[in-house]
Amino acid sequence: MRIRLDPWPVDTQDGQLTLKPFAGLVFNAETEYWAATAPRDIPARLSKILVVDGKPRMEARLLLDDEAGGLSLAGFGAFVAGAVDLCPHGSRQAALLEVAAQRVLAYSDEGGAAVQVTRLSPRNPHTGRLEYTPHVFSGSGLEGAKSKVQRLMLDAEAALSHKLASALPLDEHDPNALPDTLVLQDGPVRIGGAGRAVLGYVKTLHTDYLGADRIGLLGTLKPGERTPVLRFRVGDQGDAQGSEGREQRFTWYVRLCDPPFYQHPLAGVVRLEMHAPEDSDFVPRGVLDIANLSGRLLCKLASAPHKDARAPQNLIPTAALEQAMGRAMGSAELVTRRIRSHLARELGQGAVA
Amino acid sequence: MTGTPAGTSAARIGMVLGTEDVMPTVFWFAVSAGASVQLDDLVVVETLRPDGRPVRFYGLVDNVRKRHEGVTFESDVEDVVAGILPASVSYAARVLVTRVDPENFIPPQPGDTVRHARGDDLNMALSADKMGQASFPGGLLADGQPLPLNFRFVNGESGGHINISGISGVATKTSYALFLLHSIFRSGVMDRVAQESGGRMAGSSGGRAIIFNVKGEDLLFLDKPNRKVADKESEAGVSKGFAGDRYALLGLPMTPFRDTQFLAPPRPGAPGSAIVPHTDQRSEGITPFIFTLREFCAGRLLQYVFSDAGSSLNLGFVIGNIEEKLFRLAGAQQSKGTGLMVEDWQVDLSESPPEDLEFGDLGGVNLRTFDQLISYVEFKLLEDRDGEGDPKWVLKQAPGTLRAFTRRLRGVQKHLTPLIRGDLTEAEAARYRPNLLSGAQLSVVDIHNLSGPAQMFVVGVLLRQVFDHKEKYGRQDTVFVVLDELNKYAPRDDGSPIKDILLEIAERGRSLGIILIGAQQTASEVERRIVSNAAIRVVGRLDLAEAERPEYRFLPQSFRARAGILQPGTMLVSQPDVPNPVLVNYPFPAWATRGDEVDDLGGRDVVEVGDDWLR
Repeated sequence: MRIRLDPWPVDTQDGQLTLKPFAGLVFNAETEYWAATAPRDIPARLSKILVVDGKPRMEARLLLDDEAGGLSLAGFGAFVAGAVDLCPHGSRQAALLEVAAQRVLAYSDEGGAAVQVTRLSPRNPHTGRLEYTPHVFSGSGLEGAKSKVQRLMLDAEAALSHKLASALPLDEHDPNALPDTLVLQDGPVRIGGAGRAVLGYVKTLHTDYLGADRIGLLGTLKPGERTPVLRFRVGDQGDAQGSEGREQRFTWYVRLCDPPFYQHPLAGVVRLEMHAPEDSDFVPRGVLDIANLSGRLLCKLASAPHKDARAPQNLIPTAALEQAMGRAMGSAELVTRRIRSHLARELGQGAVA
Repeated sequence: MTGTPAGTSAARIGMVLGTEDVMPTVFWFAVSAGASVQLDDLVVVETLRPDGRPVRFYGLVDNVRKRHEGVTFESDVEDVVAGILPASVSYAARVLVTRVDPENFIPPQPGDTVRHARGDDLNMALSADKMGQASFPGGLLADGQPLPLNFRFVNGESGGHINISGISGVATKTSYALFLLHSIFRSGVMDRVAQESGGRMAGSSGGRAIIFNVKGEDLLFLDKPNRKVADKESEAGVSKGFAGDRYALLGLPMTPFRDTQFLAPPRPGAPGSAIVPHTDQRSEGITPFIFTLREFCAGRLLQYVFSDAGSSLNLGFVIGNIEEKLFRLAGAQQSKGTGLMVEDWQVDLSESPPEDLEFGDLGGVNLRTFDQLISYVEFKLLEDRDGEGDPKWVLKQAPGTLRAFTRRLRGVQKHLTPLIRGDLTEAEAARYRPNLLSGAQLSVVDIHNLSGPAQMFVVGVLLRQVFDHKEKYGRQDTVFVVLDELNKYAPRDDGSPIKDILLEIAERGRSLGIILIGAQQTASEVERRIVSNAAIRVVGRLDLAEAERPEYRFLPQSFRARAGILQPGTMLVSQPDVPNPVLVNYPFPAWATRGDEVDDLGGRDVVEVGDDWLR
């Protein structure tokens, strides 16, 4: 029996490694020769990396029941989507971009009780504006409000990525395909963002896209090295009908550091993802350039274990961004207390009790 | 309120921080982007009370710091500089409040605007408005504005005495003491205060200073212009970014001291030899000073011969007794002259009588040297009546004590013989009598060539004379006494007659108009009451271990740390009106401090002067 530690702290949502095989088909896109590719230098023309991330938070959950016994659900939440703007060559200081919190009052469209959103939401004492923008979610699940906030956050994140990213020509040979700006998106790339220079960065390896015959290469990658680029179709379940029309993705793996002996050999490996054009059997020059520079870039941004529990996958700018976003949302305790006192004042003791 | 309305003068340099405790006496502020705040900057903050009335806080920046904000680890600086970690630099300054006006000790509000104190605000911060006519410049602040000192805390009216600490060489204690004297005499503050007092004080015409020169011949050229001063001052003006030379900024003339006299002990030589001052670099314009044997006895000066009189009770008793006997002896003198005629010395009974005795007409002996006086005392104590001594002199003291007494006298004989003479004529005695209070305004007494016991003797005797004089005539004319090396003259642990005088000056001198400008390397080793009586305390470069001693607790911690790195020409000045010390620099001396600094060209070209010589 072999015993290995999952590299990530126990209080994160998932372990880093829960490899479930990918049901669909995965194609070699770059080469048929399955071997490690050495990292290349970051070209001088790439002058801007935008690390984009988002953060949701629930601040209070509401249970509303009216005299007729109807039950409804709502929740106060907040989210931020922001970015860190940095130069991969270190020519200037990294800076935070658009880190501003938005507050949401998500309420269910079902249930008997009518939700008076304007009464429920505290207002800004200075401007009189609603602090919490009302959003409706469907269904009556307890987690509905939370997933609504999460959804809004992801949308904001995708919108920000889309706004910041430059266009990526999907040509096979164009030597100038690499743009000067690259967006590094936390998590897989989003549906609908094709044609832009957005690189998805997946920290947790849930799905095994490689299969038993190829996964061995990951264990032998040296820091900075990558696997060849592969192509797959999102949500491919193996049956031809289900996945038809879905978007395609390029993906490859990069190792950020050698794993300590007590961890899984795949610790320190991340999966990267980019949009792939429909029905293409080649890897566009821009994608290849990004794949080639990804090793150097990510090793440069990788964090150290004594500073970040999720090192090296949690990148230095990402951790700073997360911290800044948490700060932008304000103290959760204070916010909850303010909501509580608002409700008590607005609705009276009878309504709240 | 005398301050200007908020915000009209200086631009905003920051905001009071909310992440550090804000207190009425100390607070931090975040420095605005583009502003520069350094240590010792004077700032003002206005806050509003709940009833809408403003309260203004005046203070002094005593700490400034920058740090990365939003990062956790020290090595994060590498990531920040490499451009992969976003962080901002926080620049904050700590203010020690010197004044709250009106005196509502509420804390300022985080977010209150901080401005540089200029103009009236500056006067408020340094309490110059309270000083009125009594302010005189005590040096320049970092931005070239003069620091006002309150003369009423110098001349004894509200407080008195100045104490300066610092290690020798770099602390420039004496230079600063001289600068203060220059400022007091030439800024006109004495006249202004005299005018305000309605003629009860004499102003600068009545002010006098006595300086004891204890090291080198630094102070023997105070009346000569310094040829380096113009260059040094223009250099300093450029490097510090001042608008002009520092004398002009202070409103003081760039000239040497006027109305000076220089006293030096006579060169040791055979009795009766010519009396010339014992100095090396300068001989003209220096008056030798000598005490006559008769004055020595009549003035009860014997006690100042013994610096360790307190070490033995019996010895002190003998000294007091002999002093009394000598006093009577002097009182009984019939003839004029400076020696002492004694009738009862049977010279033939003495073991080793001095050879050059002068016998009087009636068989008496005329004592003319200190040596002879000691021989006479030895005779009276140990040799008279077959070794029993004169019972009136011995007063049943054990022979051992008496021998200890004469042994000590013999020990200092060599040092005091040139200073105490009985062979002068009355006219000579008058000429060489040290005349500190009716001669020039500034008297320099050079004692650096004297041995330790002789220095103690001279300082003790002269201070006693000043003290006696002032006790008789009162405090109208302030006398400043500048004395370095208080460690030696008033040590904390031992008693000595000179320490008694210094203590008297420190404790009573203020009401008599004797102001001690004392200096020492280590205040911790000086009698506590002398240091604690000084209203104005100054610290130059200090040894860091010394700076942590309780004597320097009047300095806040940050100032104590800085006292270890002060440069020559920079001092920390603490005065009663301002609760925190202030860092000042003061100008290069306009008077020569060495023979080769003397500007003997009189402002003319070297060639021109040379031509004059050749003509």
